Amino acid sequence: MTISVPPSARQRTRLWPSGLVVPLGVTIPVASVLASFAVGLLLVVLMGAPLGQALSSFLDGAFGSSYAISVSLNRAAVYSLVGLGFIFANRANLTNVGAEGQIAVGGIAATAVALVPGIADLPLGLSFVVPTLAAMLAGAIWGGIAGVLKARIGTSEVISTLLLSFIAVWLVYWCVQSEHLLRQPMTSAATLPESLPIPETTQLPLVTGDYGAPANLGLPLAFFLAIAVAVVLGYSRFGFQLKAVGFNPLAARRAGFSTRQTIVVAFLVAGAFGGLAGAVMLLGDQYSLKAGFSSGYGYDGLVVGLLARGSTVGVIATALLFGFLRSGGISMEMGAGVPAALVLVIQGLIVVSVSGAAFWLDRRQPAKE
Amino acid sequence: MTTAMLAVFIGSSIRLAMPLLLAAVGELVSERAGVLNMSLEGMMLAGAFAGAVGSWSTGSPLLGLIIAIVAVGPVALIQAFLTVTLRANQIVSGLGLNILVLGSTTLGYRWIFGARSRETIPGFDRWSPPLLKDIPIFGDAVFTQVWLVFAVPFIILAIAAVLRFTVLGISVHAAGEDPGTLDRAGVSAVRIRYGVILFTGSMAALGGAFISIGDIHTFTEGMTNGAGYLAIAAVIFGNWTIWRSVIACLLFGTATALQFQLPAMGVHVPSAVLIMSPYVLAFLSVAGLAGRQTAPKALATPYWR
Amino acid sequence: MIPVDDAGTMVVNRHSVADALSFHGVTKRFGSFAALSDVTVAFRRGEVHCLLGENGAGKSTLCNLAFGIHQADAGEIRLDGAPFRPSGPGDSLKAGIAMVHQHFSLVDDMSVVDNLILGQARGIAWRRAFAAKLEELTTRYGLALKPFARVGDLSIGERQCVEIVKCLIRQPRILILDEPTAVLLPDEIKGLLEVVRRVAVEGCAVILVTHKLAEIRDVADRVTVVRQGRVAAQSQTPGQDIEALVRAMIQRPLEALDPAMAMSLGISAGSEVKRRAARIGPRGPDALQIDAVTVKDATGVVRLDEVTLTIQPGEIVGIVGVEGNGQSELGAVLAGTCPPSAGRIIVGDLDLTGRPPQAFSAAGMGVVPEDRHAVGAITGMTLTENLFLDRSRVPTRFGLLRRRVMREAALTMMAQFDVRASGPDVAFGSLSGGNQQKAVLAREMTRPGLKVLLAAQPTRGLDVGAVEAVYGLIRAASERGVAILLISSELDEVLAIANRVAVLYRGRIVGECRGEPGQRERIGALMAGHSA
Repeated sequence: MTISVPPSARQRTRLWPSGLVVPLGVTIPVASVLASFAVGLLLVVLMGAPLGQALSSFLDGAFGSSYAISVSLNRAAVYSLVGLGFIFANRANLTNVGAEGQIAVGGIAATAVALVPGIADLPLGLSFVVPTLAAMLAGAIWGGIAGVLKARIGTSEVISTLLLSFIAVWLVYWCVQSEHLLRQPMTSAATLPESLPIPETTQLPLVTGDYGAPANLGLPLAFFLAIAVAVVLGYSRFGFQLKAVGFNPLAARRAGFSTRQTIVVAFLVAGAFGGLAGAVMLLGDQYSLKAGFSSGYGYDGLVVGLLARGSTVGVIATALLFGFLRSGGISMEMGAGVPAALVLVIQGLIVVSVSGAAFWLDRRQPAKE
Repeated sequence: MTTAMLAVFIGSSIRLAMPLLLAAVGELVSERAGVLNMSLEGMMLAGAFAGAVGSWSTGSPLLGLIIAIVAVGPVALIQAFLTVTLRANQIVSGLGLNILVLGSTTLGYRWIFGARSRETIPGFDRWSPPLLKDIPIFGDAVFTQVWLVFAVPFIILAIAAVLRFTVLGISVHAAGEDPGTLDRAGVSAVRIRYGVILFTGSMAALGGAFISIGDIHTFTEGMTNGAGYLAIAAVIFGNWTIWRSVIACLLFGTATALQFQLPAMGVHVPSAVLIMSPYVLAFLSVAGLAGRQTAPKALATPYWR
Repeated sequence: MIPVDDAGTMVVNRHSVADALSFHGVTKRFGSFAALSDVTVAFRRGEVHCLLGENGAGKSTLCNLAFGIHQADAGEIRLDGAPFRPSGPGDSLKAGIAMVHQHFSLVDDMSVVDNLILGQARGIAWRRAFAAKLEELTTRYGLALKPFARVGDLSIGERQCVEIVKCLIRQPRILILDEPTAVLLPDEIKGLLEVVRRVAVEGCAVILVTHKLAEIRDVADRVTVVRQGRVAAQSQTPGQDIEALVRAMIQRPLEALDPAMAMSLGISAGSEVKRRAARIGPRGPDALQIDAVTVKDATGVVRLDEVTLTIQPGEIVGIVGVEGNGQSELGAVLAGTCPPSAGRIIVGDLDLTGRPPQAFSAAGMGVVPEDRHAVGAITGMTLTENLFLDRSRVPTRFGLLRRRVMREAALTMMAQFDVRASGPDVAFGSLSGGNQQKAVLAREMTRPGLKVLLAAQPTRGLDVGAVEAVYGLIRAASERGVAILLISSELDEVLAIANRVAVLYRGRIVGECRGEPGQRERIGALMAGHSA
């Protein structure tokens, strides 16, 4: 079974009458995003919600205050990290749909390490770096399992990462349910099934230093990693190797590149990105582990990765778009009574239309003779 | 475990396996023809939703069931158009459809039911066949089920027979192994693939409607909760043969039933572990513990004439 | 010969009642490439009509149009004089047209009978009834087939037999065969041609695509030469016009042809081919030693059975055999992608048994794999990237690619090996087959310290000009002292350029002889498994 999201190495370009060359790989996703938004607005009207109020509460939730903007940016950071991991593995023609699980195990590991006595007292920022590294390691292992299975016995990574996600999500539930694991000590029947809050020194520093605008280090980190990923994919020997294995494993092996090693490394990296996203969520935003901690971030990030079509700039742009979209959607539900599920409809439409549009983007040369 | 408890356990295992069975057998037909419907989850959810709405608005669960099948048609049609005509990536388009269906059904549910959420919906009554019902203990606990449960073995037998003994079955096999050859033999591979996807849609609709109007008698947001993915895993576990896939579904159903059974027996296992167990089983099966897998050669590859 | 006017279109012959199928000014384009332009040709009942032409000339396109796989862009196809526009193979089959395709069109994972039933019936599959029909047909045409055998387990010859029966069972009025003999043994070819003859005698119009002149001599009633998508010549007396037909096919004087090329086309008898003596000095150290190599596949079946072979520097050794007798495995073993279950491989003085592909490369082993799309190159990457598709040769600094250095070196290689492309950054897949193969050869032959070159099916699917270029490059390498192992299913090609020929049959080397045309008969027998 071969599963491919075609790596967008070189997109065909279309010449517009004005002479302006716009790559089809940009036009189509942008057009489908706009069209999906239009459908979303139409639904708002159809549902009888006051459009003006819906829009204003949407904008309020997305950009209304420095707090709202910070929340949106934090969200965008998580989406970017997941999306970067996705396009990295996808360069080797691997489809990592398991970010949700990688976030979950990352969150568990970050919490567990942050709560270890002594970690909070580490100097030089190590107090939050160590839990972050632990989360990346956990995510890498979770992704690596899928990679090893794929490399060893050819298990479809889509199925294995998806199942691993379900397992990881319930692992979180287990961890916060059981006092032997991470649940805070039960002092009364009302004790919530969640972990102890992590110590303040293990929290990810805020860019602003102000809880009123809690934008954390996540987004600058994502920017930095986006550049790193772009360089590795486009200009390094390993990027060449990923691309070769992704296009044609037989030829890559002939050329002396180990396909198994490539697949495993690609998944370790993608998983580490997922784990890092989990750490950013936990250490930079939620501060304690709760059931349903990952709450769909992994799947949203997957959509970001898909839409970006292999481009790191695309990842950041899409992540920002989705970050504000989600925040606005939640506020719209509270302010105008439009269910936040509307955002899911819009996202679904985007993915469906972009996947269908691949017909025009990756049109194959017809076979001659 | 007492006999009575065993009987209840068997009964609930069968009940919980039913949606999986219906969806998995449908998906098996698709995969045999080379199409991987990642949208199975979405199709089931759409079926559960349409069945609930249909049954609620008409007051008849049977009409609800029919409405479910009709309503999933467009979802299956989109999947077919994307993957067969536009040759889109089957995984990506399927996941997209799942998100779309999850959003739409949640939206639709709020819209239609609004404040009346969690309302009970008219569902199928339980019934037991004449002779079987008189078996002591088991008659009541195992054989008193919604009529659909008794229809399922016949549906599966019929599908197995069509696959094995008819020209259509041979064509489906060829579409999954080598669609080009099928096409050159004068049978349109495109048509076969559209057909199997629509068929899978109907089966998934039955499976989804079974959850909402056959079992729980209500609809909740995202209520299929991964059953579609489990059904796909069952097909893989079953190595693309119908009987092994059926066994896999029963196994997953049993694992799910355990989460209700064990606490009743006084065994304390964290509920998370039990809920996780079918996924762990499915994962172990795809991880190679179910032996070497031989997928149809053209599975998940679009066909270009 | 029927004269052809200056524009290259044939002087149109009037519609005749005997015409079963006719093309009138038919054009077919794929993107900007015109596969057929303005083709007019008629196929008559009771005749075997051969289509002759180079790879890519448009023969297969013509067949595919008649069979409904593609649709014409302009012009008209007529069936019994009435316009015929099939929208798919189903329409053509209903109209009584059956086709044996260039590549097998069988489902390996199904039985012979199931393959026959496909598209032939509805409702319940009455397998026994079909088996009986099959029995009847095979006895009538003197063929042999087991109805319930799995197609994947059949030999190449048997599979081709299933293809033919699949057509015959429909009792076609028009039978199209697209290079049906390319994969067959001499004996099997004879049998197939006999069936073709009989089918024509029974009143069917037969269209036979081939590039083997011997077959044209044997069965053709009429020959049409296709060149660059146009009809270049036609003959009603093909037996007498062979040379003229070949000239029309390649459009240049036969004398200018590379002698090896001429021989593999079957125009010169071979005795007058002047052979270049291989520069083999006194028997020195071997460049390549294959020592009792055995390969078993995943299911434990022996694919190579104690193959032993040595090659001297500068020597060209050919391996012939019917496809599927171990050639692919031998190629994979020597590329390092398939470790042998037993035996040793020594390049120069390095034992490479069980080492990875990069060790083979480092030891000076160049490989032109049999399938350049699947193994030799990556069509989705650029020409430059493909010219550097080798882990040890990608130029890097601090782990980063040196794109400029790569580009410049690519330009040099393109000039040296005559790889024609609009630039080094075009997608490899957009190059013609010949240029793709020259690029692969360029990469492998510029390998530092090249000692041995394995060329597997190096000319498959190439046109005459490209084939000549490949022969030239192989000879040049041999003159530089590189040992060459040439694996090919084209017996004439091997006889024309190899110094020594070894025959593979069921994974064993069943015979070795000098590369001389006189050995043709003996080698043919060995290939078929008859001990000489």
